[in-house]
Amino acid sequence: MTHPLAGEFSVEASARTIRYYRYAEERMMRIVGGWIALTPELPAKLVFGRHVWDCAQHTDLLGRRLPELRSPAQQSEPPNERFVRFMDRLESPAERDQTPQRLLGVYRVLKPHLIAAYELHLRTASPIYEPPTCRILERLVAEERRHVAAGLAVWRHLGAHSAEWVSEVGDALVAAGGITGDGRIPAVCEVETSGVDPSRDLVAMDSSFDPDRVDPELRARVEAHARALVGGDRSALLVDVDGSVQDTVIAEYGRLPSAAETSELVGCARLGKYRVVKVRLTGRDWQGVAQQRWQPVEGGWRLAMAEVVAIDRKR
Amino acid sequence: MDRPIAYDKLAREERFVRMRSRDVADLRVAQGLSTFPDLTTPDSIRDRIHGIMVGELQAMEGAGRSVYDFPDAPWEFTMDMARQVWDESRHVEIYLALIDHLGGYVGEFPETTILWRCACAEDAAARVAGVNRGLEGLACDVFNQLIHVARKLGDPVIERAVDFVLADEITHVRMGSRWLNELTRDDPERRRRAVEFQDSIDERFNLGGVRREADADSEVGIAITRETRRLAGFTDEEIDRLIKSTQRSPVY
Repeated sequence: MTHPLAGEFSVEASARTIRYYRYAEERMMRIVGGWIALTPELPAKLVFGRHVWDCAQHTDLLGRRLPELRSPAQQSEPPNERFVRFMDRLESPAERDQTPQRLLGVYRVLKPHLIAAYELHLRTASPIYEPPTCRILERLVAEERRHVAAGLAVWRHLGAHSAEWVSEVGDALVAAGGITGDGRIPAVCEVETSGVDPSRDLVAMDSSFDPDRVDPELRARVEAHARALVGGDRSALLVDVDGSVQDTVIAEYGRLPSAAETSELVGCARLGKYRVVKVRLTGRDWQGVAQQRWQPVEGGWRLAMAEVVAIDRKR
Repeated sequence: MDRPIAYDKLAREERFVRMRSRDVADLRVAQGLSTFPDLTTPDSIRDRIHGIMVGELQAMEGAGRSVYDFPDAPWEFTMDMARQVWDESRHVEIYLALIDHLGGYVGEFPETTILWRCACAEDAAARVAGVNRGLEGLACDVFNQLIHVARKLGDPVIERAVDFVLADEITHVRMGSRWLNELTRDDPERRRRAVEFQDSIDERFNLGGVRREADADSEVGIAITRETRRLAGFTDEEIDRLIKSTQRSPVY
């Protein structure tokens, strides 16, 4: 039987492992912070916003432990270059339609892997001389578990599937040998989240645009205008357009890659008595958004300006 | 990920209507409205609250970018920016709830991105001067006034919620003052550029005379309140300079 004072880690090894953990927590914090502006969906944007500060505190706690282990404070160290490449890969989805990949990379791959690493460390660390490290790791496990529950709840809410991304990022983590660099920790782990309450991290989950908010008469005009656009009916299209901007509006719609096949009212803002409406248009291989300014006139509404504000080619 | 990112990469759900601030102001003026919602009607209060909500969103996004964009900044700078991200995320939640409370909806008013553009300054010192001192200082004025309006209207929900947000904003201004000083220590030229950037933001947000020194109970569009600004760490000289700038700013 092993002597109770014969621990798994030397002081140097313990400090080195903490620098590895700190590297992962710090880079994750910076990446998630940078993603917030690039992420359109409010629940995802806000869950990232919630977790940046927790990850900063994790990084700070690990960094403060280091001098107690004869190592300089607040230093991060990757276990190897392959782990740096794994983090680069995790960071790479920066396009507006890549929120599912962002969520899965952090909440399905990296955080579960870190939880597994911290739990293994807790099981093997000496209960006699490593409680200062263990207390930090216990806090990290509890908070990361809550993060996983919240992040995956947002991912499920978005209803997207990106299984191939999980295996791609997971493969990069396997190649790195995980956070310890020696392959001891499984790359893609399941995390038990029953009994974890992520509700304080979940905001605006049920918030969406309700077209019934739009004045019925205006809505009818907007929809008729969109039908004319989809049907390619120029005379019907111009019925509601102010004479002074007809050429401008036609030229603007001419920027669409090809004929629109469907349309949907997706937003409506008030600007005094004017209304600025957004209509999503979908073509064979593209999706775009037209922003239109409607002004009240006697007996109805008139389109005073239209602008194509987004065109995305389908991936 | 690019470092920093282009202005137009700021991502929103489709229900948000984004417009240039100049266009919004022009279209308001064309209808005989003030350039900025004036808090005199339920509609204008909802408009102002919605504007603050998108401002908080952009502040969260800007602070998040500061966490990412400046990996070589002192660790405590990053900690302050990360804390600010969390604070702003709670502020967004608060203002979303206030929009509900007032019967509004997300996307009900256009979003302008002046604040976000300020948050894209490439130098960390300029960013904290512009965002934490310029814009969060503006937020202190706006929120202080909103609290007084809510008190007058007998709306304790707005009064209490915004008061807590104001407490955070004061903390953010203090963070800005600290980092402006620390990041530019021994570099007067960098400090000069950062302060100049903050001044340019202050000028821009004078909104053609909408912002003036006044009691928070007054009917001024945005009242500069000395007491709150002093609490946030602005010196009397800085407050005087800001007030002077409101008197020479003919356009927004």
